[in-house]
Amino acid sequence: MNPTPLYSYASDPAWADLLPLPQDDGQYPLAQIAYTEEYTEAMSYLRAIMAKNEHSPRVLQVTAHIIEMNPAHYTIWVYRAKTLFALSATGEVQLGRELEFLNDLALRHQKNYQIWNHRQTVVEAIAAAAAPAEQEQLVREEKEFMNRMFEQDGKNYHVWSYRQWLVRRFEAWDGELSFVSALLERDVRNNSAWNHRFFVVFGGGGMDARQQGEGEVVEEVVEREIAFIEDAVFIAPQNASAWNYLRGVLKKVHRPLSSVESMCLGYAPLDNPDKITSSHALDLLADIYAEKREEHGKAVKALELLAAKFDPIRANYWNYRVGLVKASV
Amino acid sequence: MASTLLTSKHVAYIQSLDTKRDRLDYHLTSHLRLSGVYWGLTSLHLLNHPTALPRSETIDFVKSCYHPSSGGLGASPGHDPHLLYTLSGIQILATIDALDEIDGDKVVEYVSKLQNPDGSFSGDEWGEVDSRFVYCALSTLSLLGRLGDAPGVSAEGAVGFVLRCLNADGGFGMAPAAESHAGQIFTCVGALKIAGVFEKSLSEDQVNLLGDWLCERQLPNGGLNGRPEKLEDVCYSWWVLSSMAMIGKLQWIDREKLVEFILSCQDEENGGIADRKGDVADVFHTVFGVAGLSLLGYEGLKEVDPVYCMPKDVTDRIVWNHRKILTT
Repeated sequence: MNPTPLYSYASDPAWADLLPLPQDDGQYPLAQIAYTEEYTEAMSYLRAIMAKNEHSPRVLQVTAHIIEMNPAHYTIWVYRAKTLFALSATGEVQLGRELEFLNDLALRHQKNYQIWNHRQTVVEAIAAAAAPAEQEQLVREEKEFMNRMFEQDGKNYHVWSYRQWLVRRFEAWDGELSFVSALLERDVRNNSAWNHRFFVVFGGGGMDARQQGEGEVVEEVVEREIAFIEDAVFIAPQNASAWNYLRGVLKKVHRPLSSVESMCLGYAPLDNPDKITSSHALDLLADIYAEKREEHGKAVKALELLAAKFDPIRANYWNYRVGLVKASV
Repeated sequence: MASTLLTSKHVAYIQSLDTKRDRLDYHLTSHLRLSGVYWGLTSLHLLNHPTALPRSETIDFVKSCYHPSSGGLGASPGHDPHLLYTLSGIQILATIDALDEIDGDKVVEYVSKLQNPDGSFSGDEWGEVDSRFVYCALSTLSLLGRLGDAPGVSAEGAVGFVLRCLNADGGFGMAPAAESHAGQIFTCVGALKIAGVFEKSLSEDQVNLLGDWLCERQLPNGGLNGRPEKLEDVCYSWWVLSSMAMIGKLQWIDREKLVEFILSCQDEENGGIADRKGDVADVFHTVFGVAGLSLLGYEGLKEVDPVYCMPKDVTDRIVWNHRKILTT
């Protein structure tokens, strides 16, 4: 941060009517505050403006300035939003401009979540006044911007949450499957993308489920998903996300785990432990064999391999599973 | 690399935090100050130095964050009220046995107004929804002894929302269908525990699946991550471990390796614990590192309550003993 501010509210005529309010630390004993002039000055002018409950264009200036220095200061976001909506109601501000401000900020402050909460309220307000075609345009632009965010970090939790909100809110399911497939093609270990895939394919009234009505999933969709998983596992056998997704799919469509036994054996040949390339395949095989009493020996073998060789840090967990299998005999 | 917990350094570090008012980063963190006090105070209690922060000044600071008009607390004086800081304030007062310093009825009123028709809670009047806030609401109410006596609050609705955040992989996310995340799991399991419905809400298979997901967070270096394919971080020593303790699966963690990992993240010179080895320490990672060690039974630490992240003797006195009387 620049210790010598280039801009000063004190020397700007637009702010001359205000007496800046210094920080009040309540009853807590005060020490001399000497933080940088720039932040101090901006905060004291904002306090002065908040004390007057003023919602004018200059509020946008000073809040943008402070947010730039401290984007997690939630109280400032709330005041900015109130001001924005007051100005938008009188036509003094176009809400679309706010999204441009947020784009720039979000790209530079990846971990901040106030930006996304604020964005949601702004988009909601824009949509409320928009014609259907304008809404479609808005959703398209929002998705385009999120894609830029995902280029920097494909696992940003705030952006994913926002995307799910947007998709649900505007029934914007079209294109989501190809979007998420492309992300997984880029990084097959992206658990956030796998989660979104489940959301799109099976959850929340998603595209495929919706076509079938009440939660019935078409056979083709299941086959397509299993084929997709097979490809993903082929690329990265030790990828927990793909195996978790496989379990989620099978459970969702009530298919037995045993339906993927041969796939698992490809990555975890129990009779040839040197050729085992996936602890997750072993884990799944253990569950498959635990279901049949005559195959309990194989289940125990898989779990013992996990405890001893393929995932020893979780030995206590695998041994607990061995106990469960033995107890069920 | 330190092989023991540097207790006196951590105490000195926490005591020093409030003396750094001439530094910019002190002011840039004013939006979470009250939680910072809770993190520091809880660390000190677990480290068996409960009086290392001055009691009356602590109470004064909590009260200076209180908004009499709404009943909520903000992060610092002049900051808007929010559920996150309302919980922190109540946790602080509960820990130092000073809950009578605040108008409990008014706080209950603040919390109740933030519940939405779908059972979820917003963090503040501005409306952000997150399963974390259900935890904040239920934890606050229960610490005030008002869980069953909060007009306008539907605990059943809150539980319903939390259960809708359960995913196919066994974990919980911040909203229905949102990705499982260890921090969210702590808040969701904690909310179900506080509401007293965890056992009847999840089947044994579901608990095992959740335990599987949680212990899979341990990486070969001993540290825990918060989601698959992410880096380890000391704070997950709390979010993951407390969840495992709540569901009775703590034994699935490799204790020695995790202890070693947490200890390696200590700042040996100035005290405090960082997110990972070599990074700058902060009070957030300090409390979650110390609390994680407490759950692991590390010698010399006070027992922490995995549901509340507060000293167990405090929550026994305020919450659990009272419940036992009620249920027997």
